[in-house]
Amino acid sequence: MKIAVMQFPGTNCEYECLVSVKEVGMDGEIFRWNRPAAELSVFDGFIVPGGWSYADRIRAGVIASKEPVMDALREEAAKGKPILGICNGFQILVESGLLPGTTCNGKVEMALAQNVMISNKRIVRRGYYVDWVNIKHDAAPRRCSGSFNLSKGELLQIPIAHGEGNLVTMEKSLIQNLNDEGQVVFRYCDSNGRTTPEFPVNVNGSTENIAGICNPEGNVLGMMPHPERAFFAWQLPPHDLRKHQKDAVGTGRRIFESMKRYIEVTA
Amino acid sequence: MSRINLRVWLIIPDAEAATVKNTLIRRMGYGDTLADVKKERLFSIDVDSGNPQELAKAFAKELVNENKESYRAYFDGIKFEAGYVPVKVALKIEDGEAISIMYRLRNRLGFQNVRGVEKATVWKLYLKGENPESAAKEIAEGLLINPNKDSYEILGKESSVRVVAAMK
Repeated sequence: MKIAVMQFPGTNCEYECLVSVKEVGMDGEIFRWNRPAAELSVFDGFIVPGGWSYADRIRAGVIASKEPVMDALREEAAKGKPILGICNGFQILVESGLLPGTTCNGKVEMALAQNVMISNKRIVRRGYYVDWVNIKHDAAPRRCSGSFNLSKGELLQIPIAHGEGNLVTMEKSLIQNLNDEGQVVFRYCDSNGRTTPEFPVNVNGSTENIAGICNPEGNVLGMMPHPERAFFAWQLPPHDLRKHQKDAVGTGRRIFESMKRYIEVTA
Repeated sequence: MSRINLRVWLIIPDAEAATVKNTLIRRMGYGDTLADVKKERLFSIDVDSGNPQELAKAFAKELVNENKESYRAYFDGIKFEAGYVPVKVALKIEDGEAISIMYRLRNRLGFQNVRGVEKATVWKLYLKGENPESAAKEIAEGLLINPNKDSYEILGKESSVRVVAAMK
């Protein structure tokens, strides 16, 4: 079971992703964007990590989305192989038309726009933001490759670090369709799972608190939070009691374990 | 009410414009039609009083870093040189940076006559071939904008009033 961790100029946390992949018992390697794209076909799954691919020039993710390797990734996605896009990886998948992927023609149906933090109907902050956030798994179990093992309503505490995670769309029925088809995988929430629309719960102003979505088939997941930064207990914030417990694991581990399980089940 | 337009461009190499050019030529098949790409920032500032020329100089002091940028001011219109197609890209959702600039000019720097600020990027596409405006439209929709948050206009050479093509 071999995972390709994609690396574009400006990618970050690709090595953390690789460690996470190996820790849950999969094999993997870093796959540079300029390798022959055909070599991707030998892999069983793919991770597009976060960062600032091409320095976010024009807008986050768009330059990477034009690379030939993304055409190959689109072909692998069509075979049902799992793809996990994290943060900038999510932005790349959106700009490639792989997510939300409801039209099957590569149309860009949504944008991850600049963060706008709203409280009491007033904009209190904009731009880049780093914090630990709570997200609620809002999809059915086994609906999506990257949350295959999660129950509906399960809460995860995972860090975010981004300036453009505010999901917006001009497609009138898109959000309704995503809800109806169970494609909204994660929503920002408080520690009790309440999805109030205001900052700091809705940390970037995203429509309906959406933090992660999958494609209609469920094999492609994009999420703004960074599960690889919450993989080990020692990575958790000081207030999390699991940080000091022996044999405890980080919440982000569940994402990588889900990917592995999805591959086992669908192989 | 008058409108002050500040065209601002880098006098050092523009890596973003170079990336756009590379992507269009190497990844999107414009090698035969695209000669060059340059980029400018455009600030359009509405004022209800004051000498526009003096105000333009004062605003430029705040918005232009003269160590790496240069600018040109226009009043109630804008002109572009011959030889390229100017494509203006702006956010069609709320532009937080433009709002912040207006707040800064009015409340921190005392320009109470500022009534509105709009910010855009102008991509200057140097195109060969029969119909450069059609190619510019294709490039705008294929790379320069995400239609879910951005709008674009292909501007005429002489005035911001004449719009050749647009997606709002």
